[in-house]
Amino acid sequence: MAATEKLVMRGISKSFGNLRALNNLDFTLRRGEIHALMGENGAGKSTLMKILIGIHMADSGEIFLDGEPVVIASPREALARGIAMIHQELYPILDMSVADNLFLGREWKRNAMGPLSMVDRRKTRRETENLLAGFGIGISPDAAMRGLSVAETQLVEIVKAVSQGAEIIIMDEPTSAINEKEADRLFAHVERLKTSGASIIYISHKIDEIFKIAETVTVLRDGNFVASRPTREMTPELLVSQMVGREIDDIYPPPPPDRHIDGAVLEVSGLSDGYRFRNVSFQIRSGEILGMAGLMGSGRTEVAECVFGLTPKTSGETLLRGKPADVRSPRDAVLGGMALVSDDRKQKGLNLAATVGENISIVSLEECSRLGIIDRVRERAGVDEYMKRLAIKAESADTPAASLSGGNQQKTVLAKWLMAGPEVIIFDEPTRGIDVGAKREIYQLIRELAAQGKAILMISSEMGEIIGMSDRVIVMADGELAGTLDRSELTEEAIMTLAANLGPTGKGVR
Amino acid sequence: MKSILAKIVVVALFFPFFVPAASGAAERSVALCMSHMSNAFTIEMSDAVRKRAAELGVTLIVNDGNKDAARQVGQIESLIAQGIDGIIVEAVSVDGIQPAVNLAKETGVPLVTVNQKATNQENAVSFVGVSHEDGGELEMAEAAKAIGGKGNVALLLGPMGSDAQIGRSAGYKKVLDRNPGMQVVFEQTANWDTEAALRLMENWLQAGTKIDVVVAQNDGMALGALKAVEDAQLQKEIKVYGLDAVPDALAAVKDGRLTGTVSQNTSAQGAKSVDVMVDALNGKQVPKEVIVEQMFIDKANVAKYLK
Amino acid sequence: MKNRVGKYTVRELGIFAAFIALIVALAVVSGGTSISPRNLVLVIKQASINGILSVGMMFVIVSGGIDLSVGSILAVSGVAASMFAHPGEYHLAIPVALAMLVGLALGCANGFLVAFGEIPPFIVTLGMLTMGRGLALILSGGSPIYNISKPFENLAGGFFPSAGFPYRAPILSVYFLAVVAAGAFVLTRTVYGRHVYAVGGNEMSARISGIRVGLVKMSVYAISGALSGLAGLLLASRIVSGNPNSGSGYELDAIAAVTIGGISMSGGAGKWHGAVIGTIFIAVMGNGLDLMGMPSNLQLVIKGAIIIAAVFYDIRAKRKR
Repeated sequence: MAATEKLVMRGISKSFGNLRALNNLDFTLRRGEIHALMGENGAGKSTLMKILIGIHMADSGEIFLDGEPVVIASPREALARGIAMIHQELYPILDMSVADNLFLGREWKRNAMGPLSMVDRRKTRRETENLLAGFGIGISPDAAMRGLSVAETQLVEIVKAVSQGAEIIIMDEPTSAINEKEADRLFAHVERLKTSGASIIYISHKIDEIFKIAETVTVLRDGNFVASRPTREMTPELLVSQMVGREIDDIYPPPPPDRHIDGAVLEVSGLSDGYRFRNVSFQIRSGEILGMAGLMGSGRTEVAECVFGLTPKTSGETLLRGKPADVRSPRDAVLGGMALVSDDRKQKGLNLAATVGENISIVSLEECSRLGIIDRVRERAGVDEYMKRLAIKAESADTPAASLSGGNQQKTVLAKWLMAGPEVIIFDEPTRGIDVGAKREIYQLIRELAAQGKAILMISSEMGEIIGMSDRVIVMADGELAGTLDRSELTEEAIMTLAANLGPTGKGVR
Repeated sequence: MKSILAKIVVVALFFPFFVPAASGAAERSVALCMSHMSNAFTIEMSDAVRKRAAELGVTLIVNDGNKDAARQVGQIESLIAQGIDGIIVEAVSVDGIQPAVNLAKETGVPLVTVNQKATNQENAVSFVGVSHEDGGELEMAEAAKAIGGKGNVALLLGPMGSDAQIGRSAGYKKVLDRNPGMQVVFEQTANWDTEAALRLMENWLQAGTKIDVVVAQNDGMALGALKAVEDAQLQKEIKVYGLDAVPDALAAVKDGRLTGTVSQNTSAQGAKSVDVMVDALNGKQVPKEVIVEQMFIDKANVAKYLK
Repeated sequence: MKNRVGKYTVRELGIFAAFIALIVALAVVSGGTSISPRNLVLVIKQASINGILSVGMMFVIVSGGIDLSVGSILAVSGVAASMFAHPGEYHLAIPVALAMLVGLALGCANGFLVAFGEIPPFIVTLGMLTMGRGLALILSGGSPIYNISKPFENLAGGFFPSAGFPYRAPILSVYFLAVVAAGAFVLTRTVYGRHVYAVGGNEMSARISGIRVGLVKMSVYAISGALSGLAGLLLASRIVSGNPNSGSGYELDAIAAVTIGGISMSGGAGKWHGAVIGTIFIAVMGNGLDLMGMPSNLQLVIKGAIIIAAVFYDIRAKRKR
């Protein structure tokens, strides 16, 4: 037990059909460390983790736990050996209480009658209380999972893993759906886990987080091991270049020198929806990229969806090209020349049951049809053009959308809207959950669209993105517009001050 | 909160049983519990009962069991709880009706079964109806006569396991045993359904086996089979027999398309059941079984039955 | 996609192979009778009523819904039409129009409640299943409506072309093929059809794409209702009576046909030829088993097993992706 290595994976290879997902890969995790696993989508991170928790079996290679060679054939076995994974998307049983979820599948029983045993409710509750208190989490054991925030659900999931005796905890993009304050709390819990002796494998796309919490970082690329070293010997630039395999001097393309910003295309004044945001006014000009910043829950997505007619407004006016527009449904918005690239592409962007081509043409079908009958040649020509323009990596337009990677799915949503030729494009978290290479392509595209004279609203939680891309930024705080910043005023501090309502105009007092 | 609601529901459900029996009015009220009210037979039956009850000055309540045996039992339980004087039942299920028959006996309410006997018929006051076996025998005997006791027979049966199907099939068998020259070449249920019988007959005609006569256990199926025969222009070669004497079957007999059908004398069954009930209520001794005679109808005597 | 052979997915080829195997097996067992031209024509004819219902069902299921009321709507329409089809009373156009309108109206009622009342389609159409049966019994007074005019009987009973040609198809199958052709065209070649798929695949995304989701949903039930009305008309003509008990359980046959044909119950996916093959599959099986003299109770067991097998195969094929 003198060895500090908790887990060693050596020479791991795995293929799916002809595709080689992992190629002779090594990975070492030390006891009590937070170890970041980095790589673009498709680099092999999740395949490696699925092998570790027994969802996949490696074609070759060995796994050592505490120096002992082991074979992990199922997630159940992984759990028995102390390996647990906190998935990116959590699926608790929403109508059960926190306590029942924690002990799901290993209920405290009052008698031994197999499946017919009575659940010992009192004990379940007491144990839950102790566990939550041990973590300093103020959630009632009786609370329904449905009522918990994503961050709270995650914490319950972590408590569950620890209570099951997990010594290796894999966290897959835990901060992708929570706000920064919640993320900081999460990091505190992760630190505490570490001091209690657990080892954590941390997967994230957010580079700044890695430098905040991880001691070691391992980089994978195209199924190959690239590097593994202490974080303090790394710089963000070096990390990114190792991930993408080339130097990226600046992932945000600069605005073209000859661009010009014209008159207002979309003007919104005094918009309220009655409870989530109030009195929001802004305008976007032709050729302009307007950034919208703010904390999670500040009402940004709600404003965008209301402008787009998806949710009803209680007051406020919308002008399109100076004319009043009565946008009461997304159809009105689309007919008025608006597009919404949503933050949730699986729920609100794509039809995963359809092909790439069917997804791309769905908004533009009326333009390539006569008397309601589709001209398939014209449709196909349009689809092919936009697939090529956006470099969508799919065999053909007939490929099912569900089989594409996240980045290509996002590009498919973009292609759909571009084919419709909108004048106003709302991007809500356009690069969430996609890899660095695809991000850059999307930024490039947004720049081009602005250069063509489109008016662009870009909602983002990534500071770098907001600062790197926006011509002007509006900041939301608690459902209200906290302020507007010009490009010359854009700094992280300025945005955060407004977003947290700390500025001279803000209500918050420190 | 929840439990209070539950108690209210429970009380509401059983409320009818807590109510004291209705005070004995001078006029007698009798209930007719039909298995369902969705075909020509049940309509004719209930109409006949209504008519006779009106003639005899009996108040009649009609309950529709909607083909649900449990529901019919529930209806009878409620009727007895509310102090009904007598019950005439056309049972959904001869087995399922048993608790209701027992309850009537225990509470001293006379119960008469009509058309179908209950399995525990000994606990009922009387049975008024026909013998399905006799009906089947009558139908098949006429068919045998028509083809000279020799030839290929196709049988269209009612829902397997139903009383009528079992009885009529037994009647068929008696005749077939007497006539070794008759071969059953097809035998299948069409569940009383015209379209199903039509489809079956179309398929049988494809099989290439010669069929001389089709004997169906009701008229709906006979009419379906007849349609298939006519579509194939085999009406000269194949005779079709039905049972029930519904109006369209009678019209087809009159036109010489359907060879014959059997009248179950539904109206007589209904009327007779009221007579038996009134006798029982008046304290007279009634027979345990009143069998109404069935009649074979062909072109010769059809005019008498056409309204 | 590895799961593709040319234009077709493995799933589609699988059902086609099973279909061929069934036909071959039945041909062998029946000594060739089952594949005689006359019998094949008969099978198509017998598949027609269910086929017309299945086309309507396909629209509803592709849009992500379900319609349990088709059998009851069929009965109401058939009864309503028969009431106006006695000899020498009304022009033939009256019962024909009435059947379609009754079906359309009940379908619209379904659609309105699903699309704008936001009641789950299972519940709405379950209610309509019961209500429709009740309406049919009330309208008919509980017993079949007989005494039907000859022209009405010839609606579904005749042949096409009507006379003078050596090869004639039962007119019932002509209606079926026409409905299939129209349904397939609308679903695959029109903007509307694409919208039906989009709504079934992802309703939210369809809404954001500017599709009038409510109207699309309402319309699929209207189509299903109108086709049920047509089927009711044809069935009444075929059995020369308006029977209020007709069509009970037909909704399950239509759903079975669509399911066997690989049309996903979760919506948004499935091809029109799936519904056709599924319908004919069921008819072939019934016809073949009848020819063999197999008891209908056993036929039910076999049919149920095939439905489960089809869906099992479907889910397995999906998981492999």
